[in-house]
Amino acid sequence: MKKSDVVPALLLLALSGAIAFDTRRLSFWDDTTPGPAFVPVWLAVAGAVLFVLRLAEAHRMRAVPVEWPARAALVRVATIFGGLVAVPLLAPWVGLVPALALLVLFVLLFVLRQALRPSLATAAITVGLIYAIFVAWLGVPLPRGPLGL
Amino acid sequence: MDSLQLLGQGFATCFTPLNLLFIFVGVLIGQIIGALPGIGPAAGMALLLPLTYGVPPATAIMMLAGIMYGGQYGGTLTSVLVNVPGEAASVMTTLDGHQMARQGRAGAALSIAAIGSFIAGIGSVLAVVFVTPPLAAFALKFNAPEYFLLALLGITATASLGSNSPTKALMGALLGLMIAMVGVDPIQGTPRLTFGQQGLIEGIDFLPAAIGLFGIAEVLASLERSEQAAPMRTRLRDMWLTARDWADGRLAILRGGLIGFFIGVMPGAGPTIASMLAYIAEKRFSKHPERFGRGAIDGVAAPEAANNAASHGACVPMLALGIPGSASTAVLLAALILHGIRPGPGLMTEQATLVWALIASMFIGNLILLVLNLPLAPLFAALLRVRYAYLAPGILAISLVGAYASTLAYTNVWIALAFGVLGWFMIKLDFPRAPLVLALVLAPLLESSLRQSLLLSFGSLGIFVERPLSAALLACVALSLLYPVYAARRKVG
Repeated sequence: MKKSDVVPALLLLALSGAIAFDTRRLSFWDDTTPGPAFVPVWLAVAGAVLFVLRLAEAHRMRAVPVEWPARAALVRVATIFGGLVAVPLLAPWVGLVPALALLVLFVLLFVLRQALRPSLATAAITVGLIYAIFVAWLGVPLPRGPLGL
Repeated sequence: MDSLQLLGQGFATCFTPLNLLFIFVGVLIGQIIGALPGIGPAAGMALLLPLTYGVPPATAIMMLAGIMYGGQYGGTLTSVLVNVPGEAASVMTTLDGHQMARQGRAGAALSIAAIGSFIAGIGSVLAVVFVTPPLAAFALKFNAPEYFLLALLGITATASLGSNSPTKALMGALLGLMIAMVGVDPIQGTPRLTFGQQGLIEGIDFLPAAIGLFGIAEVLASLERSEQAAPMRTRLRDMWLTARDWADGRLAILRGGLIGFFIGVMPGAGPTIASMLAYIAEKRFSKHPERFGRGAIDGVAAPEAANNAASHGACVPMLALGIPGSASTAVLLAALILHGIRPGPGLMTEQATLVWALIASMFIGNLILLVLNLPLAPLFAALLRVRYAYLAPGILAISLVGAYASTLAYTNVWIALAFGVLGWFMIKLDFPRAPLVLALVLAPLLESSLRQSLLLSFGSLGIFVERPLSAALLACVALSLLYPVYAARRKVG
């Protein structure tokens, strides 16, 4: 049995425990009708049963190796994800559209090491599309920054 | 009014400039999304769902459905020309399609795939026309217990048919159900599973979850690879089929289309399984099975016909019962809900204009796709030369705006990011994501109908076996859970 089999099962068990814990103050059954905790509690029970079934299946079957990315690829994915996380943090200060333009440039220039001109063109096209569709067409009020964008 | 008259009205609804434009845009985007490795039709539909807020519901659904079946056509290009399936349902096409391309017959492979997809698609939509109304009329007899069992069947069937590991699929479905419990209890209005977080009171929206699970996760997984294979070239004049090609391919199209439709109608199976089964069946039927894997044209025709037929067949349970049969139809169902339309057996009567316009749009969409894929295939093949590195950041940016635009709150952006990470881990650990999405969509129906059933029966579980209809559905649920056990034992034996 591999860690990749055990860890997701354990996480599901932990989640089931958290659900059982959080719904303990809610009613399970009110006179003739199921209460708000009824379905969550049964889901927590199902989680515990699936934990056992998954471990049994993993024990019985030959472990399939997980294709984790190589270190460089993992760093690339983590860095891109870092860029994504930065968007909702930056957007209230610089505006959502400029934050997305920075994301595109960050991914293309810093992470994927693409040439400057096509990267600038890609950022401009992406921002133009977002602005045309979401702001001009759909009228979505995207948060603006100090530049009014 | 009979089905053909209603279909005629559906065509009348479609033939407005706005609707025709959106059908064209939908199938075009589907074609492009299908051709790009790393993003499938469900992801494309989730990403573009926010774009439909400003248009009438029927127009929106026609466009999104166009992405769904357009993706089945587009996936062929990458499979044949690059040997990388554009999306999961095109995996089988790579086996013989790329071999044909290596033998200088890429045009013939693309041609038979387009014609096969078109014939099977049209046949499948015709079947949708005649199968859906009686099924919906029958389903009008359903009551709370049947709805509960139907929703449960949608989830268990997906888990048992759509994955190598039923426990992994069930874990995904259970996670989806657990996530759907967050927020306010639908009957008493009590907050639950919010863990004291005010932002969770309104629950977790489907849209940012789908955007994260499909859009962000798939792009992150694709960006692990930095290299990009160059596509092979194809020319218009290479696309003519010989009499021999047609003779070899026509029955494969018929068989693939039939298999695809029936697999598509079954909840949870979907186009990927349909194309695999069609390929296996075709190899078994073939007088020359040794040609398969070495460039057999029937090895391209059958899976391509099957995946397109299945994507249309999956609309039957969605339209007639309100139960999505695949991840793409789950997004389509969510789109209906977002546009204020209640899915279920009443949809065929309450929203007849929308349903029949959607079905009619599928005929038009398939015709447009045939044109796009025959004379214009070399043009789309040229699109594959655009480096994915330049497309990926744009997809990520649109994902974040889409998540934000759904409620104009950053909470949904964070939810999309969290589901993006979850989806990436699910891809890595080989957990299917469709059961999670289906469970998210079906959870409200499942919970409310279960509680209503128990309220009606004063807590007795007998209500689930008293009516023949519910007893039959319960038997189907039990079968869907026992089938994987039987299949595993047969495999060992």
